[in-house]
Amino acid sequence: MASILAALEYEESIGKYWNRFLDKNTDTTFKDAAVSFDDISKSLKLFYHLLGGDKAKDLHMTDKRVIQMKRTFLQKVSGSGIHFYLPWQDSDALYLPSSIAYFQDKKQNEMLYYWLTALFTKVQSHQGTLEDVNTNAIDALINKYPGFQSFYTQTQTKEEQFPSIFWIYPALNTTNKYSDFNDEHTPTRDESKPEKVDTLKMKKKANQIDDKKETDGLLAFLPDAMMSIMEQVNVDRSEDDSFDEDALYNAEDLDEITLGAKKANLSARLKLDLDLSMHSKEEYPLGGGHFLDEWDYSKEKYLKNYVHIKPYLTTNIEAEELPKRLKKMVKSVESQLDMMELERVKNSKLSDGDELNIDTWIEYKSHQNRSGHHQKFYMSYEKKLRDISTLILADVSLSTEAGITQEMRVIDIIKDTLMVFSESLEKLQDSFSIYTFSSLKNKNVRIEIIKNFKEKYSAFTRGRISAIKPGYYTRLGAAIREASLILKKQQTQNRLLLIISDGKPNDVDRYDGRYGIEDTKKAILEAKKMGLTPFCITIDIEAKEYLPYLFGKNGYALIRDSKKLPALLPQIYINLTK
Amino acid sequence: MSQTYYKAQANEVELFEAAASMNLPILIKGPTGCGKTCFIEAMGEKLGRKVYTVVCHDDLSAADLIGRHLIDDNGTYWQDGPLTKAVREGGICYLDEIIEARKDTTVVLHSLADYRRVLPIDRIGEVIEAHPDFMLVVSYNPGYQNVLKGMKPSTKQRFIALSFNYPIPDVEKEILIKESGVDEETAQKLVTIASEIRQLDDSEIQEAVSTRLLVYAAKLIVQGFDPYQAAMHTIVESLSDEAEVLEVLEKLIGLHFTLID
Repeated sequence: MASILAALEYEESIGKYWNRFLDKNTDTTFKDAAVSFDDISKSLKLFYHLLGGDKAKDLHMTDKRVIQMKRTFLQKVSGSGIHFYLPWQDSDALYLPSSIAYFQDKKQNEMLYYWLTALFTKVQSHQGTLEDVNTNAIDALINKYPGFQSFYTQTQTKEEQFPSIFWIYPALNTTNKYSDFNDEHTPTRDESKPEKVDTLKMKKKANQIDDKKETDGLLAFLPDAMMSIMEQVNVDRSEDDSFDEDALYNAEDLDEITLGAKKANLSARLKLDLDLSMHSKEEYPLGGGHFLDEWDYSKEKYLKNYVHIKPYLTTNIEAEELPKRLKKMVKSVESQLDMMELERVKNSKLSDGDELNIDTWIEYKSHQNRSGHHQKFYMSYEKKLRDISTLILADVSLSTEAGITQEMRVIDIIKDTLMVFSESLEKLQDSFSIYTFSSLKNKNVRIEIIKNFKEKYSAFTRGRISAIKPGYYTRLGAAIREASLILKKQQTQNRLLLIISDGKPNDVDRYDGRYGIEDTKKAILEAKKMGLTPFCITIDIEAKEYLPYLFGKNGYALIRDSKKLPALLPQIYINLTK
Repeated sequence: MSQTYYKAQANEVELFEAAASMNLPILIKGPTGCGKTCFIEAMGEKLGRKVYTVVCHDDLSAADLIGRHLIDDNGTYWQDGPLTKAVREGGICYLDEIIEARKDTTVVLHSLADYRRVLPIDRIGEVIEAHPDFMLVVSYNPGYQNVLKGMKPSTKQRFIALSFNYPIPDVEKEILIKESGVDEETAQKLVTIASEIRQLDDSEIQEAVSTRLLVYAAKLIVQGFDPYQAAMHTIVESLSDEAEVLEVLEKLIGLHFTLID
C-alpha cells in the first residue's frame, strides 16, 4: 500500500516538474517588470533625435509578425514562439514592440527600448545579411557608449535566442504574413528573401516621394514649361471622403496604405463635392464685402481688385463655458503666465510716485538754470498692459476636417487652441482679435469675425469659436492682406499677425503651387512693410520646405504633434513677445 | 595678469586685428557660452587695450553708457560712463547682448560707429573725438526667437559682422583640456555628449549645451567629482526643467559615464 502511494506521489511530482519546466523554458517574459511603449515613446523620440535620428520619422508600435523558424521542441509542445513583435523601420517611422518584458528588472526592459532606438540610428540599411548589419551596428553602439556596453554584456544570455531581442529587423512584410509556417522549413538566420522584397518596396516609395515634390511648386526653378503643366494639377488632398473598398478589404494592411500613395483622381472628385452647401447655420454677411489686389508672379504685377473679401459673423450663437477637458490645460498655461513677470513699465518724471528717481533729482540739481526746470522727481513701476496687439488668423479650410484620430479632427484642435489661447491672452491683458478664413476662388474669400479688437472676450467668443465649421480652401495671401489692413489700425508699438495653418496656400483655381506661394509671400512682405510682425504656426510636417521661404528663418514654428498645439501656442507666444 | 586662453575657430583673430587697425566696429553673433566674451578679453590682451564691458538690459539708458552728473560735498560733477571712458582713453567698449537694450538707446552709438568717430554729449556740451585706440564691439545671441526684438537695420549696418558658433569637436576638446586640465578621454566624452545634444532643435530644447557648461563639468571632474554626477549637475540640470527632457538627457549621460555606486 505504501509503495503504491509513493508511486502516485512520484508521478504527481514529475507532472509538476514538467509543467514548471515547460513554463520556465517557453515563457520568457516577466509581466511585472513590463515597460509599455505608450509610457516611454515620448522620451524615446527625444532620445532618437539626440543620437542624430531623422526628425521626420515618427515612432509607432509594431504589428506582430510570424516568423518561419525552427522552434525548440519545448516551444512546439507548449505552442509558443510563433509570434514576435520585432522592431523595424521604414522611411516614415520606427516601429517598436508595444511592450517589453524580457528582463526581471524593469530598468533593463526600459533600457532595451533605448537600446533599440539607438540601434536604429546605427543600422546601415540592407548591407549584407541581417546578422552582419546588426552585428556591425551593435559594435558601433557599444564602442561609443560604455553604458550600452555594460547593459549588453550583463544581458548577453538573452542573446542566444532567435529572433534576437537586440536586433533591428527588415520592414514588416505582409506577403508572408499568413504563409504557412512549416517547421521543417530551413530555419536560417539569413533572411535574404524578404530583404529583396523590402528594397523593391523602398525604391517604389522613394519614387513616389520625388513625384510628390514635382507638384510642390516651391521647387521654383523648374523650367517654365514644367510650371504650366504643374499649375494645372489641381488640389491634391489626401483625405478621402468616400471609403475606398480596397482599403477596407485590406484593413489588415492599413498601416502601409496610409503611408501616402498619391491619389490622382481625388481632386476632380473633390471639386464636385464642394458644390454641396456646407453651411446651414446662420451667417450674417457684413455688407457686400470689398476687393483686394492679388499678386501674379508670372506677370510680375498686381491684379487690381481681383479678390472679393466677404466678411461675415455667425449669429444666434450661445454663450459657452470653457469645455471641461480644457480646464486643466488652461490652468497650467495660466500658472506659466504667472511665473512670467509682466513687463514692468517704468514711469519716471512723475510729480508723485512710489520711488524717488535720484537721476532726475541730480539732473535738476546740476542744471544751470533751475528755475525753468521741472520738479518731477518720482517714478513708479507699473505692471502694465504690454504694448502689443495680436491678430490671430486661423485657417479653417476643408483640409482641417482631416482626422488626427477618429474622434479628433484638425479643426477641433484649432478650436481648442483658440480657446486656450484666448484665455491666456485675456490673462496677459494683451489686446487681441480672432479671424478665420477659407476661400472658394477669388470671388469668395470668406473671413469670419470671431472677436475683433474692440469686443471684450466673453462666453460668446467661446460660443463663436465652438461654432467654427471647416470651409473650403486656403487663399492665404488674400486673408493675410485683409488681416493686415485690420491690424494696421491698431495703435500699439508691436503688432503681431499670428497665422495658424495646416497646409500650403491653395484654391481650386490657379491659386496652387507656385502662384499661391508667391502671392502669399508678397502679402507677407506687404504686412512687414506696414510694420506688422507676421508669424506662422503650422501643423503640417511637410510644410518645412516653403515656410522659411514665406516667413523667413525665424518667422514660423512647426508643431509636429498637433495634439500639443493648444498647450504649445501660449508658450510660443510668450517666447515671441517676452 | 594671466593670459586668457583663446583658441581660434576660424579667421576671427585676423579679422579682429584688421578691424582694430582700421578703426572699424565689430558685431559678434553667437549662441550663449560659445566664447564671445572670452574672445574679446583675449583680443584686448593681445592688442594691449583695456576692455570696458557693458551688459545690456532693457532698462539701460543712454546715461548709463555716456555718463551722468553726480553730487558730492563740493557740488555736482560729471562722471563719465563706460562708453565715454573708452572713447576718451582708448580701449575696447564691449556691449554684451545689445539686443536687450531698447533700440533708441543704441542710437547713441551711431556717430561712433561710422567714419565720424565722435561722441557728442549734450549735457556737458562736449563733442569727444574718439581716441585712436578706441574700438566698439557689440554682441548678441540670435538664437532667442523673439520676433519683436532685434537691432535696427541702421544700427546693424554700421558693423563688421562675425558669426560665432560652438567650436568644432576637436577644438572644443582642446579648450576643455586647456581650461580644466581634464584627461583627454573624459574631454572627448563631454564633447560627444555636447554634439549629441546640439542635434536637437529648438522645439525640443530651448538652447543647446554651451562650451562654458562643458568647461564647468570638466572642472568638477578634475576636482574629483564622479563624472556622471558632474555631467548631471552642469549639463543636464541647467539645460531644461521639463521632466521628460531631463530623463532622456540623464539616460544619455548614463550611457557615456556609467555611474559608480
